[in-house]
Amino acid sequence: MSKPKVAFFDFAGCEGDQLQIANLEERLLDIASHLEIVNFREVKTEQADNYDIAFIEGSITRPEDEKRLKKIRKQAKMLIAMGACATIGGINCLKNFLGKQEYTSLVYGPYARHYSTYATRPVRAVVPVDGEIHGCPIDKEEFVLVVKSLLLGKIYIPPDYPVCVECKKAGNICQLEQGRLCLGMITRAGCKATCISAGSVCWGCRGPVPGANLDAARQVIDEHGFSWLEAEDRFRLYLGYFLRLQGWVYEQETT
Amino acid sequence: MSAHVVYLEQLPSLFEKWKEKFKLFVPQKKGDYYLLQEYERGQEICFDYDVIYNPIKSFLFPSYETLLDFDLKTYASKPVVDAEPQILFGIHPYDIKAINQLDQLMEMGSVDVNYRARRDKTVIMGLEPLRVAKTAFWSFMDAEKVDFGFDLFWTKIGPSAFVVEVGSVLGEELLFVNGKVDVATAAEKEVARRKHQEIVKKAKMQNVLKFPNTDIPKVMAKSFNSYVWIEKSRKCLSCGSCNFICPTCYCFDIQDEVDDLLKKGKRYRTWDGCMLRSFASIAGGHNFRKQVFERYRHRYMRKGRYIYDLLGELGCVGCGRCIQSCPARIANPLEIFNFLWEDVSYEK
Ligand code: SF4
Ligand code: SF4
Ligand code: SF4
Ligand code: SF4
Repeated sequence: MSKPKVAFFDFAGCEGDQLQIANLEERLLDIASHLEIVNFREVKTEQADNYDIAFIEGSITRPEDEKRLKKIRKQAKMLIAMGACATIGGINCLKNFLGKQEYTSLVYGPYARHYSTYATRPVRAVVPVDGEIHGCPIDKEEFVLVVKSLLLGKIYIPPDYPVCVECKKAGNICQLEQGRLCLGMITRAGCKATCISAGSVCWGCRGPVPGANLDAARQVIDEHGFSWLEAEDRFRLYLGYFLRLQGWVYEQETT
Repeated sequence: MSAHVVYLEQLPSLFEKWKEKFKLFVPQKKGDYYLLQEYERGQEICFDYDVIYNPIKSFLFPSYETLLDFDLKTYASKPVVDAEPQILFGIHPYDIKAINQLDQLMEMGSVDVNYRARRDKTVIMGLEPLRVAKTAFWSFMDAEKVDFGFDLFWTKIGPSAFVVEVGSVLGEELLFVNGKVDVATAAEKEVARRKHQEIVKKAKMQNVLKFPNTDIPKVMAKSFNSYVWIEKSRKCLSCGSCNFICPTCYCFDIQDEVDDLLKKGKRYRTWDGCMLRSFASIAGGHNFRKQVFERYRHRYMRKGRYIYDLLGELGCVGCGRCIQSCPARIANPLEIFNFLWEDVSYEK
């Protein structure tokens, strides 16, 4: 079997996920021994246009992006969205809560009219995806798991339960119980509750868990002493794209 | 069995001796919570904790546990059973009852070798509670006292003295590692008995089960179609906290993992819970309990009825952990039992 050719592409995002992969260091050599990497900005300079598996980073925010992504989709046998911007629209979706004029002039000031930009969307909203690696940034262990699954001809299915599951398995004392606003109860697991184990709270970076009961979460957050606005602000940070969708659309998209 | 007296100042040297052969875990205070953590020399032990935050099962049935190693090239595999000798010191009776229940469940059908190996290497040292957790109702669940399941059982009878009841030969050996200790006098045993009565009395004053617990299975049997399941579960986040935190929940899932060179791998198990959305999914996309209310009901049915049918005892020991950890504050067996009992009695 010849080695599958792999390429990485970025759209609107910070390339933090490619950095996570570069952070695998020596392990990257083991993983890469099964692959041929033809395009990877973080560690390689020369690039090629012939690839089987495309990893997409960043969200789609401009008409040009859309064209480029569709071209990649045509070439790639497998297309995998990687990182919150690509899988759930990520922080870039904050602008979806503002009018177009408002956000373009906020960012580009007097030059606003020279830039083409529209509401942020995740990759799956533009082209079909074969897999998603959630997180902001992604968890490098999960990246490795996805690649290994591909190589073994299996489909990696990310957890469909909330972060609380991994948080309890890690033996943490619940942050919500201690009076901090934690979104673990509606966020998709897979990060091993890393932020909570490190003493922080979950910000929701892996996006809503399939079937997330947002109404209940709002009520629960309210009963724990936070205002509706605090909850909504926190939701918008990462769940923006979904707050703008009808709940059932997301249900259908994810199950 | 016999009972002895041990003084506080004898503890450090006993602990040091035990640590030579065992990992020793003791109750410790962490902020407003209590954890069972490894003992270090000179450490303070929290004798008056109300409840250990995490369920004790994690010491016998860890949240992740390797079951076997395999080789992708040769297809060879070999079981992995790793269990280290450990002492769990300061376990309250309701938690010992939960372990006794796990012992039975993990032997049903075929023996769970990994659980058994850990259990056989574990010494349980019970402790009479001095305080009752706000959410606890163990005194109504036949869990305020255990007759077996411990190697030693400690009761603090004064600022610096304990009556220690021996529950096994190994327990006695451990008690005598630094030489024999005094036999408890009749008066000292009487103090221990009174300490027990006092705490049970205190526990009975809060979180009251309004009817005999022996009626719970009957009440549950009549309540399958109660509206309470739908009503309460509207707020459920399907987060599984009530499962994972529960000392008697024992479900797990099995998964495989391979190394980076795709040569070797391991099969491990990890906790699973009936409140999770795909817990009861099977091949073909069918799910036996697709609706939240079905899963919510199922957990109570397990605690109040199904385990009873299996073992003749209830599946809930009243530790109150689920009540405390449910973000939606809807996981409350006591509240549900009382409510359904009233509902069922009213219908008659
Ligand atoms: S800290 Fe957050 S993720 Fe952990 S159990 Fe509490 S709500 Fe869930
Ligand atoms: S705990 Fe939450 S914010 Fe942190 S990595 Fe996991 S999903 Fe993201
Ligand atoms: S059901 Fe709740 S109260 Fe009962 S044993 Fe489990 S965690 Fe404790
Ligand atoms: S802890 Fe509460 S919200 Fe979470 S699954 Fe259990 S009942 Fe539902």
